[in-house]
Amino acid sequence: MSRKTAVAPDPTAIGNVSSPPFVRLPDPASLFSVRSARFRQLAGTGELAPYLNFLAQLNDAQHGILADLPPAEAPDAEALARAHAFEMPPLDRNAIEGDSALEITFDRLFAAADAIDKPRAAAKALARVASADPAQRLAMARTLFTSTLPGDAIAEHIFIWAGLQVHFTGLASALDAAGVKPVADGVCPACGGAPASSMVVGWHGSHGARFCSCSLCGTLWHYVRIKCVLCGSTKGIGYQEIEGHGGFVKAETCDTCHGWSKIFYQDKAPGLDPVADDVASLGLDLLMRDGPYRRGGFAPLLAGF
Amino acid sequence: MNMELSRRQFLGAAGAGVAGTALGAFGFGDIEAAHAEAIRAFKLVNTTETRNTCPYCSVACGVIMYSKGDLKKGEQAEIIHIEGDTDHPTNRGTLCPKGAALLDFVKSETRLKYPMLRKPGSDRFERVGWDEAIGRIARLMKDDRDANFIQTNGDGVTVNRWTTAGFLAASATTNETAWETYKVVRSTGMVAFDNQARV
Repeated sequence: MSRKTAVAPDPTAIGNVSSPPFVRLPDPASLFSVRSARFRQLAGTGELAPYLNFLAQLNDAQHGILADLPPAEAPDAEALARAHAFEMPPLDRNAIEGDSALEITFDRLFAAADAIDKPRAAAKALARVASADPAQRLAMARTLFTSTLPGDAIAEHIFIWAGLQVHFTGLASALDAAGVKPVADGVCPACGGAPASSMVVGWHGSHGARFCSCSLCGTLWHYVRIKCVLCGSTKGIGYQEIEGHGGFVKAETCDTCHGWSKIFYQDKAPGLDPVADDVASLGLDLLMRDGPYRRGGFAPLLAGF
Repeated sequence: MNMELSRRQFLGAAGAGVAGTALGAFGFGDIEAAHAEAIRAFKLVNTTETRNTCPYCSVACGVIMYSKGDLKKGEQAEIIHIEGDTDHPTNRGTLCPKGAALLDFVKSETRLKYPMLRKPGSDRFERVGWDEAIGRIARLMKDDRDANFIQTNGDGVTVNRWTTAGFLAASATTNETAWETYKVVRSTGMVAFDNQARV
């Protein structure tokens, strides 16, 4: 008679094995509405409320225009094969030139954003991008693709960036996650964008893994922890946090490239959003500003700090 | 963020003028100033996350150790948390009950920090020097091997066994250390032996 029973110990099953996927592609249907709700929640605490409420409404506008936009199409097989062969991201950012879907997105977003309750400076900036011609919008988009913002037109560029987010989130969601491969350190494997921040997640099956969040298309990609998000170095990585603030937002500093990026511990604060909480943790940027490290990645909503 | 703020691209004189930050550009400059004032009372603390290997057994699971204070910056560092390393291929974020209790192992008052000797008949350990410890271990091993070494078995076949002593070696070692440990121990004829090279 067999002595084997169902409760025979299996040492390999002790604990919860973590096998994170390489990418988690964005879901446009929920991305902006969840982010908006998080902005509102964060607005309930602290003196940044007016800015956070404004951004909540901007996210509502992004969410609101999704339903009527033409469905995004994945790149054709030839383009995917070429991107794969040359280790490039599957989404070609240069393709926005002459893309009528992007123009429609811009027009609808700026119309929707008109209803937002906002200061005069924001209203003027919106009026300027709303009346800009396609060539001017394209020029601003190209500037954003280089992770820079002109110091005297930050608000205008953020409106353009909001439109690009809607466009690229749609494109990224149409990709096949299994076909998305690593491109380079600090580069989104879907669209080539710079990371906004990264977070250690507590998702079931991926607990304890760190994901970078793309500032453009919202793709989350798995990235080894204790490794610089910006340059890939594993030497001299340190973490700085505001004393007594719970330790779920930290500045990951790198002594190789002298950069820092924000890292969130979503496993400790499950409602975290990599963009909304980035703005709400402006205090960390303010304190880090006096230090020897400069912030890398791309977080336009905190431009200038 | 202190990103490069490039020169204006196209907006010309119609632009909003010089606005230093995103909050200022949208017209929220006053709350920015209030926030900057409020945060001044707080300060940053250095913390570190370090990869290491669990020292318990030869499986050698990866762990991440969190500490407060940064040794590189001349501060006192204190370990505050240890968890399984999700990026480590051996354990993928898991730890056994012993590994999960590593923090207490690190901070244990009875943790072994230097060679200790309990002499025959004594009821307590006393601290000894490394030279004394290693010399004594070598002496006792040699005596035991000389007394109990088995050169041939009952049929007269050469076996070169030393069965009266055993050797337990480290888990957190390199391949080279494990290889060398194996060669040294097996060369003496020792049979009871475990180290990382087993797995």
